[in-house]
Amino acid sequence: MARVSISDGAAAGIVLAGGRSSRMGEPKAALEWHGSTLLHRTAALLGRTVDGPVVVVRAPGQELPALPAGVEVVEDPVEGLGPMQGIATGLATVAARAPIAFVCSTDMPFLHPAFVQRVLRVLADLDPAVDVVLPVARGFPQPLAAGYRTALAELVAKLVADGQLRPAMLFKQCRVARPDDAELLTDAPLARLDPDLDSLVNVNAPEDYAAARRRPAPQITVQRYGALASGGHHGPQAVRAGTLAAAAAATGLVLDRHVVAALNGDQISRDPALPLVAGDVVAFLSADAGG
Amino acid sequence: MTAGGYFGRALIVDVTGRAATGTPLDLDERVRRAYLGGVGLGTWLLHRLAPAGADPLAPAAPLAFVFSPLVGTPLTTSAKFAVVAKSPLTGLLTDALASSQFAISGKLTGHDAIVIRGRADELSVVLVDSDGVRLEPAPELAGLPAAEAETTARERFGRGWRTAAIGPAGERQVRYATISHDGRHAGRGGLGAVLGAKNIKAVLVRAGTKVAVADQAGVLAAARDLRGRSFGPATAKYRELGTLANLLAFNAVSTLPTRNFTAATFEAAPRLAAEELHEMRGVARNSCASCSIGCEHIYSRKGGGSQRMEYENVFALGPLCGVSDPDDVFAASARCDELGIDTISAGGTIAWAMECVERGLIDAPWLRFGDGAALLRALDAIGAREPGLGELLAQGSRHAAAVVGHDSIDFAPQVKGLELPGYEPRSLQAMALGLAVNSRGADHNRSGAYEADLSGELDRLAGGAAHVAAAIGTEDRAAVMDSMILCKFLRGVFTEPFDEWAALLAAVTGWDVDAAELRAVARRIVLAKRVFNLREGATAADDRLPARMLSTPLALGSGRVAALTAERLQSMVDGYYAARGLDAAGRPRPADLAGLLIDG
Repeated sequence: MARVSISDGAAAGIVLAGGRSSRMGEPKAALEWHGSTLLHRTAALLGRTVDGPVVVVRAPGQELPALPAGVEVVEDPVEGLGPMQGIATGLATVAARAPIAFVCSTDMPFLHPAFVQRVLRVLADLDPAVDVVLPVARGFPQPLAAGYRTALAELVAKLVADGQLRPAMLFKQCRVARPDDAELLTDAPLARLDPDLDSLVNVNAPEDYAAARRRPAPQITVQRYGALASGGHHGPQAVRAGTLAAAAAATGLVLDRHVVAALNGDQISRDPALPLVAGDVVAFLSADAGG
Repeated sequence: MTAGGYFGRALIVDVTGRAATGTPLDLDERVRRAYLGGVGLGTWLLHRLAPAGADPLAPAAPLAFVFSPLVGTPLTTSAKFAVVAKSPLTGLLTDALASSQFAISGKLTGHDAIVIRGRADELSVVLVDSDGVRLEPAPELAGLPAAEAETTARERFGRGWRTAAIGPAGERQVRYATISHDGRHAGRGGLGAVLGAKNIKAVLVRAGTKVAVADQAGVLAAARDLRGRSFGPATAKYRELGTLANLLAFNAVSTLPTRNFTAATFEAAPRLAAEELHEMRGVARNSCASCSIGCEHIYSRKGGGSQRMEYENVFALGPLCGVSDPDDVFAASARCDELGIDTISAGGTIAWAMECVERGLIDAPWLRFGDGAALLRALDAIGAREPGLGELLAQGSRHAAAVVGHDSIDFAPQVKGLELPGYEPRSLQAMALGLAVNSRGADHNRSGAYEADLSGELDRLAGGAAHVAAAIGTEDRAAVMDSMILCKFLRGVFTEPFDEWAALLAAVTGWDVDAAELRAVARRIVLAKRVFNLREGATAADDRLPARMLSTPLALGSGRVAALTAERLQSMVDGYYAARGLDAAGRPRPADLAGLLIDG
C-alpha cells in the first residue's frame, strides 16, 4: 500500500492523545496492543501511510508511552478543552509542512491505511474550497477520523478561544464533504481491505477493549526471498500477524541484523513493532541485498 | 624486502617495439601507508605515471596490475588484484578487481604492482617473474577467447605461469573489453581495450619469491577467525544462491531495472531467479582462490555445457533487454565471456539501442526488446566491431548516443560513460547519489549505497542529508576494502569494520595503524581519484544521472511513485561536496592536495 502524498505537498497525520479515558478507567493511549500500545500503533500506522509529519497532541503534562522514531509530540496549551483544542494544536504544528492532514483519536485499533488514504485522497482531489472531509459512517459523523486542510488552524484556534468547543461549530463555518459508507466504499482498495469500515471502531470502555482483543490478528501474506527461502520456504504464505516481528515469527524468522522486510514492495523496515494490517504483503530479504 | 606485506616496489614494463624493459619504481612506506594497495595504490601510480590528457589507448597510457598487502596471506578472500588505467569508455580513472591465483603469482614475482606501457610491434605476451621481464610474440593467440588464450599460453610457456588475457573484443579495442584470468574478469571500464591497444594479448606471471608478514601467529589467528565468520549468516546469501539472489528480491521492491530503465519490475523475473535456477539447473558451486565463501553458482545450459551466472549479467542481459528465457541469458553471458566484454556495459548499450530502434533512431528492426536471438546477434556485431551497428555499439552508450543524436543521450543508461548496474536509482536514492558522484562512473562496487536504501534506516524514495552520509560511508568502506584488498561479500561479518581492518593490516604489516588512520586513507583514496579525473577534464557536470532518471517518475509495484528530480539530486550532490570538503564545483581545496603525495 503506497503512502499518501499529493501534488502540491505532503499529507500529515495527527493523533489526539489527550482526553480523560474516564469510561476506560485507565489511559487509553497506554493500552497494550500487539506488544506495544494503542497510541504507538496508531502513530506508527499513520507513519507508514502518509508522506508528511506525524504528530501526537497530548494534554499539558500528559505522560505518553513510547512512540515510533520520528513522531513529534506537541502539547495543548490548555487542558480540558476537548478535541477542538487538539485539532487546533495539531493543524498549527503541521501547517507549514503539509496542506492536508488526517486527524484521529488514539483509540482506533483497527484503523487501516486504506481508510486514511481514502479520506485524504478525497480531500486532495476536491475543489480547494472544500476544507474538511468528514466521514459519516457506521451511523455517525467521524470528526476524529477525518481529513482537514491545515489552513484551518487559525479558524479552529479562534473558535476554541471563543469557547466554541464542538467540531460541529467548525463545520458550520467551512465547507465540508460528508462521504457516507457507500461512497467511501466505492474505493476498491478500501472495499477490499476494510469492507465493514472497522477502521472506525473505537474502544471507550473495558468491554470494548476486551472485544477488540478477542479479534484475530490481521491476515497478511509473507514471502521469504533468497537465502531466507532455503529449506522449502519459497512462495507466498498466509499468516496472521499484527506486527512485523509477529510476521517474521510466523514464518520462522528472527528479525536480526541479517534480515530486512519490504512492506507491500515499498517501505523497507526492520522495526519489529511496525504495525501490519489486513492485506499487507511482507517480503523478507537478506539484509545484505546487493553485491 | 620491506616490512610485512610488501616488496616496496612496482615494476614498470615498457613493451614498446619487440622487447620489454622492466624498471623498478620505489614505493616508500609513506606511499604504501597512504594508499595501501589495490585500487588506492593504483590511483597513486596513475597520478605518477599517466601523462596528463593522454588518450587511454595511446602507447603512453599506463595500465597497472596492483596487488595488496594481504595477497599471499591465508586471510580469506585476499587473493585479489586491481587493474587500474584511464578508461577508454569514460576518459577518466577506472579500476577493476578480480580474484584468482594471478594475484598471488603476480605479487610473488617480487612486486607490489606491475605497470604496462608502450605498444608492442605485434600481438605479444608479457612474461614477468622474479628473474625479470620479457616480451614474446604470440600470433597464435589472435582472436582467441581469454580462456583459450590462457590454455594455449600455458601449453607454450609451462604450468608455472598464471595468465591474465583479453578476448577478441580487447584486441579490437571495444571500449568495454575486459581482462580475465581463470574465468574472473577485471570487468568494468574497458581495461581489455587498453591492453589490446598495447598489442598485448596476455600478461603472464610466475611466483618466485615469498612475502613476509609481521606477525605470523597473529595473521594465522585472524585468518582462522575470519574464515569461521565467513560461514555465518552474513554470507549465507552468497553461499546458498550467489549474487543472483538479488534478482527476485529486487523485483519485489521495484528496483530491478527493466527494458532500459523504463520499469523497475520484470514480469518474467521468476524465470530468471536464482531460487528457480538453483533447483532446476544448479550443478556446482565454486570459489575464488583463497576464498571460503564460495559465491559462484554454475548452472547447466540447455543442449549441454554450463555457465556461471551472477546478478549483474542476468540483470543486464535479461530484464534490461527484456529477455526472459534463461537459456538466452546464459548464451549471451557465455558470449560476453568468449568475446571478453563487460556484461553490464554490453547489456546497457544494447538495451539503449533497442529503445533507439523502437523510437526509430536506429535502423535495425530486428533488434527488439525481448528477443534473445537479437541480443546474441548484437553481441557478435560488437565483438567483431562490424561496420554499422557493431562499430556504433562497441563505443558504449554515451559515445553511441553522441553519434545517434536526437536526445538519445537522455536515455543512455550511463554516468560518465559507464553503463549503470542493476540498481534503479529512482527507487534507491542514496544509491542514486553514489552512482552520480563516483569517480569510476555508474558503479555499484565503489559506492554501495544501496545498502543504506535497503536497510530500513532511511526512506529510499526521499533522498536527503541522511542519504549523503550513507553514500559517503559506503564509498569510504569500499575504498579501504578495495585497497587492502578484501572481498565485499565479507562486509557483513565485520561489526566494527575500520577497527577490524586496522587490526588485520597491523598483523600483516607491523604498522601501528588504527581505525582513524584507515578512515583518513579512505578519504585520501576517494579524493585522489577525483583529483585524477579533474586533471583529465572532469567537471561537476559529470556528477549527474541520465536525464530520464531526473525527469520521468517511476511507478513502483506498490503504486507509490518514485521521483528523483534534478533539484533533489543536485541538493544531495551539493551536500556530498560539502561533506567531502570540496567546493561548489566539486574541486578540492589546495591545502587538501598536499596529503595526496602526488607531486613529484
